[in-house]
Amino acid sequence: MRRIPIDELQEGMVLAKPLMRDTMIILGEGVVLTEAWISRIEDMGITTVFIEGSAEQVIPKEEALSQLNRRFQHLSDQPHMMALKKIVKEHIEGLYA
Amino acid sequence: MPDNLEMQRMRARVEAINALPTVPSNLRQISIMLGKPRLTMDEISRFVANDPALAIKVLRMVNSAAYGFPGRISSVSHAIMLLGLNVIRGLLLGISVFELMQKNMSGLWEHSCACAVAARCIAQKKKMKEPEEVSICGLLHDIGKVIIMLQYPSEYEQTLSEAKGKDISLFEAEKESLAATHADVGLWLSQKWCFPINLVEAIGYHHRPQLSTRAPLETAIVHVSNSIVRAKGIGFAGDPFVSAIHPGAWQMLQLSDDDIRDVLTQIDESISIPGGEA
Repeated sequence: MRRIPIDELQEGMVLAKPLMRDTMIILGEGVVLTEAWISRIEDMGITTVFIEGSAEQVIPKEEALSQLNRRFQHLSDQPHMMALKKIVKEHIEGLYA
Repeated sequence: MPDNLEMQRMRARVEAINALPTVPSNLRQISIMLGKPRLTMDEISRFVANDPALAIKVLRMVNSAAYGFPGRISSVSHAIMLLGLNVIRGLLLGISVFELMQKNMSGLWEHSCACAVAARCIAQKKKMKEPEEVSICGLLHDIGKVIIMLQYPSEYEQTLSEAKGKDISLFEAEKESLAATHADVGLWLSQKWCFPINLVEAIGYHHRPQLSTRAPLETAIVHVSNSIVRAKGIGFAGDPFVSAIHPGAWQMLQLSDDDIRDVLTQIDESISIPGGEA
């Protein structure tokens, strides 16, 4: 599942989460998008939707991992924090798999 | 080191939030309402109903993944019934305060929402009775940052750039240059707003969970959620660094590696929480 802005929607993409407006479900999960649906979604002022498929990450993996190192840079002497870092690192790598 | 008098002066100024012209009127009204010790369900319903834009935001929040009823709550009174008055009070405040911050501290709303999701997830794993209340603790833990930014904009800008220049956390920079930290300010205000003790302590002690005496579990959850969200790199809370998790809090929660993976996945899946937009 990934979240994309509506201007990147293409015919044939599948909704991974129902499309909501306020509290009303407009299109259900699993709906295959057509041109007509896409233009109506645009008209409704919705900005992003969830679609099936693995996430396309905004930044390259190397960049993501170097940012992770920077976030943990003050903590290398604390084993429990390094254990947390390892789990987060694996999680981030999983997003690029 | 700032002296006590300076701290008292800051406290008085922060607590005068209802009277200050710099505070937008909707926040002032909510603050006045929350200051009433006995607030009834009717009063809140009426307040929200008078502001349709606010009502829509409340409904979008309660129907989002951060709370347990996706897509099923259709009215504000229904939301109050299901989630309880404390959760709705917290949500109202969260929505109105963080809306102001979209311009000045972009990223804080995302950070706070992700903390709300993480806190709820951990609270469920710990089988707490009211995970929604713990979620509100996560949502509001950094409210002090917003209030300092409102009341002391130029000083806080300087604190923020000091943190950046010295490569230290915002919390450290606050300790060096301000009379009180965002955690202190959050504590004062949540007392003034008659928040329940678990919320007061989780906000006030989220950087020093060992100080919590009456809500140690909630406080530990918010403390750990804050670090996990920072580790994941969601939003921006004033500095890029992961805050060290206090060993006592870490011990108390006993989270397994799988638990942490679940928290990370839930954060990923809920990044679209509405609030700032529209």
